[in-house]
Amino acid sequence: MSELRKNEHKTLLILEKLGGRNPVAKIVEASGLAHAAVMRAALTLSEKKLLQIHEQKRTTITLSEEGTQHAEKGLPERRLIRALVKLGSEATVEETVKEAALERDFTTIALGWLHNKNWVTMKANVLKTSKEPPMGFDEKLLNALYKKGPILIEGLSRELKDAATVLKKRQLIRMDDRTLRRLELTDAGLEIVKRGIKPVEEISQLTPTLILSKKWQKVKLRKFDVTAPGPVVYPGKIHPVQEIIQMVREAFLEMGFTEIRGSIVQTAFWNFDALFQPQDHPAREMMDTFYLTQPKEGRLPREKFVEAVAKTHENGWTTGSRGWQYKWSPKEAKKLILRTHTTAVTIHHLAEHREPPVKVFSVDRIYRNEKLDYSHLAEFYQIEGIVMDKNVTLRDLIGTLRQFYLKLGLERVEFWPSYFPYTEPSAQATAYVPELKTWIELCGMGIFRPEVVKPFGIKHPVLAWGGGLERLIMLKLGVDDIRFLYKNDLGWIRRSPVCRQ
Amino acid sequence: MPAITLNRDRFCSFIGRSMTVEEMAKWLPWLGCSLEETGPDYVKIEFNPNRLDFSSYAGVARAFCGLLEWKTGLPKYDVRKGKITVNVDSTVSAVRPYILGAVVQNIEVDEDSIAELMEMQEDLHWGIGRDRRKASIGVHNLDAVEPPFTYTTGDPDTSKFVPLEKTTNMTLKEILKSHEKGTAYRHLVDWAPRYPLLIDKKGRVLSMPPIINGELTRVDSSTRNLLIDITGPDLNAVTDSMNVLVTALADMGGSIESVQIKYPNRTIVSPDLKPQQMKLRTSNANKLLGLELSETQTMQSLRKCRLDAKRLGKELLEVSIPPYRIDILHEVDLVEEIAIGYGYFNLKPTEPATVTTGRQHETEETANHVRQIMIGLGFIEVMNYILTNEVNQYEKMRKDSGKEVTLANPVSAEFSIARDDLLPSLMKNLADNRHESYPQRIFEVSDVIKITEKAETRSERKLHVAAVSAHPSANFTEIKSCTEALLVNLGLTGWKIKEARHSSFLEGRSAAIHAKRRKIGILGEIHPEVLNNFELENPASAFEINLKEAR
Repeated sequence: MSELRKNEHKTLLILEKLGGRNPVAKIVEASGLAHAAVMRAALTLSEKKLLQIHEQKRTTITLSEEGTQHAEKGLPERRLIRALVKLGSEATVEETVKEAALERDFTTIALGWLHNKNWVTMKANVLKTSKEPPMGFDEKLLNALYKKGPILIEGLSRELKDAATVLKKRQLIRMDDRTLRRLELTDAGLEIVKRGIKPVEEISQLTPTLILSKKWQKVKLRKFDVTAPGPVVYPGKIHPVQEIIQMVREAFLEMGFTEIRGSIVQTAFWNFDALFQPQDHPAREMMDTFYLTQPKEGRLPREKFVEAVAKTHENGWTTGSRGWQYKWSPKEAKKLILRTHTTAVTIHHLAEHREPPVKVFSVDRIYRNEKLDYSHLAEFYQIEGIVMDKNVTLRDLIGTLRQFYLKLGLERVEFWPSYFPYTEPSAQATAYVPELKTWIELCGMGIFRPEVVKPFGIKHPVLAWGGGLERLIMLKLGVDDIRFLYKNDLGWIRRSPVCRQ
Repeated sequence: MPAITLNRDRFCSFIGRSMTVEEMAKWLPWLGCSLEETGPDYVKIEFNPNRLDFSSYAGVARAFCGLLEWKTGLPKYDVRKGKITVNVDSTVSAVRPYILGAVVQNIEVDEDSIAELMEMQEDLHWGIGRDRRKASIGVHNLDAVEPPFTYTTGDPDTSKFVPLEKTTNMTLKEILKSHEKGTAYRHLVDWAPRYPLLIDKKGRVLSMPPIINGELTRVDSSTRNLLIDITGPDLNAVTDSMNVLVTALADMGGSIESVQIKYPNRTIVSPDLKPQQMKLRTSNANKLLGLELSETQTMQSLRKCRLDAKRLGKELLEVSIPPYRIDILHEVDLVEEIAIGYGYFNLKPTEPATVTTGRQHETEETANHVRQIMIGLGFIEVMNYILTNEVNQYEKMRKDSGKEVTLANPVSAEFSIARDDLLPSLMKNLADNRHESYPQRIFEVSDVIKITEKAETRSERKLHVAAVSAHPSANFTEIKSCTEALLVNLGLTGWKIKEARHSSFLEGRSAAIHAKRRKIGILGEIHPEVLNNFELENPASAFEINLKEAR
């Protein structure tokens, strides 16, 4: 026989003292224990088969406010019939209502019930009855409730039970369900009480006092149900998108790239002109690019750069190019925009770092004037990598990208011819995603055109690639609506595991 | 990007041999097109805006035959000397000065080729013409009119003709006002006192460039001889459009005849389909591509791209470029042609010899330290857009809007300005997550943009961190402890927390963080009115620090 805890011991003793069979409420009263404590003890005791718990569903009926009112004055239909009898068993509705002094709110209800209960006949607004009908079960129940207070429905006759249902519908009474529990000592329980039992003192929380005083040796530490569910806690963590940004940044850092960071607001000069995009290029239109009203115009860089860029656009300058053959406007170049690619920052960086080698990268925000839908955002991230050195080649770029995407878990990558206004030769990379059994576009790439590098005095080939980040993230996170990534659904972040696969 | 749908059978008639849709889909991407869609009997491709010659079957077929070595080298285009003249009236110089023309004879057009021609025109109008501004094309039934032609101007109120798709005479002004093309392109001429017109010997109107052609010269499947006119303010764009269009028509079976364009002071014979020459140093090409191709191999690759090359000297070639390759601006463009001819699929990856060590940006390093500390304090990271709106950023926060970066063309009212602090974004996050269990502790370490006159871009991006804790007993003490833990663990010293007022926070329960005699942040209990504005029911306490100023 296992030991009994203090509350179990007490419950058992009191139950025996009160005759062996009692409602829980009585035990609570006699023991001074909390209801929950008695129930917890009773559950353990019943598992040990020392007592039995009997459950009984009980429904209590009580009068509602309106019910009380009717119990005092009689149901409205009763008040009308009484008045009608008083008026000689025949009268108009108005006369009867007036005689009964019936409140306006109850008139329709009362007439309805007079009709339902078949107490009157009505012809053209005239009520007629033979005599006052006897008291119905509904009225009896109402009276009983009024006089005796709450009644248990289980003890009522069939007719009164039916009457209770009707009164409930009329909202004159309330019914409250409750489970009544009785405890009953079993033979085994009785035997234990008779043998005399001693409780074990149990402790649930180890305290500094118990530890220092070594009293812990004498007390019993309560055993816990280790399978019981504990409250959920959510650890602090970084955003799932941030995790992938960090993964991409680490791939770059491991490959010896240095991170650069530049302004989000850019002049059109660095975003477009410096990259040999003619000033009437469709990408520069308001439909694609966010322009600013405040601040509106920025400053152009040093004269030497501006002049070289202007001439390159106009006639190719000394780059060996035909140029775009138009009149270049500094006003257009001063316009401030939200950068449409991080290449604006790259070319600015290269203009100031012309000594080879330069190996830089960024994973940063860019902007396009796009309507938001499941696959488009107006603000998103771009991955960009740059290698500038003596004698680097297109094959080197392909090799670098293969290595980079391998680090991101993409093994099958192919390179196709493509076009970008500021690179030549250009290419684009696609990757095979085994999970989706499909090829996806990864990035655009190429070697900066002479028309881009020469105006800034950059003398060596510049290998460049850039691509979106979100596509990669959606793939990794299994998200199919791009907008969800920045919705900051706390449930999603809380429940997304930090480690994947 | 522009696109073309290639019906297999029709494409096969251009390449002169039969092939499957799969074979088409296999090879087209190696020309630099991307596959949009393949169907049982067609392939839809997107082509890059530099290769407008791909806007016709003929153009794609030429390149395709070259890549597969069925036809290599320069395609030849003969232009017979014609007798037709276009006189240019001096009045056009004020509105749309240039015109070029060409005659295409004995061409058999059917419904398909007419549709193709229309699409090609649209691609050229977009790609070269920049929506008809720099160049616009008119294709006419030559037999419906009588040369010589005159490119002149007409009076907006008195000149009349029947435009395409109409049955009655309309004045030029009426066309701009009520014709579909008139309303779309009126801005290209409506500022001029007189509008451009192309008329024949009898004064009949062929077209009103760049708006609409006349119904008189409408091309249908019975048309055999075409007159092409291309007008614009930019002779390069006009010439480029002409070259791409006429070479395609020649490949469709037409024979090209020249037109004399008589300007008041000179005469141009158009079209000029002679190849252009450009020098190429093979060593440069090899150096850029990382290949060691011999001169012969280089020339072979160029021929596969329908160019011709002849040796001028050691490692020096002269390359002939067909008139439709308007994208070749520089020697480097020929280098790419070599790579395409050689096959991108043959380019074996190599690794650059460049040896460097990587380093993260100090700002990102700080951001990562902040993340580590905030996570330790039990906060979850959120990531919001920098773009926001005044209601969320100011009104709901009980703040006045000031000088913030403002978009000229916002895509929606939701994103019209750039945020200058982070906290409003976090409050919005709380509002969006009311159904989630509390406590909610979130933070963001990211950028805000502030206007500053001295910067080149009149603005500066700054790294901030903000955090908010929301739950039934959130209070000042909790957030102050977190703020101090962050500051201490970032290794910052000499900072002070002083009493301060801030309209987003409760008075008497808000403070400012000062360092180096500057205010670098705020903290406190969020004002209940702000909570009401975001429809939040739990108290919240928050802080925000400008990390750039803190260092």
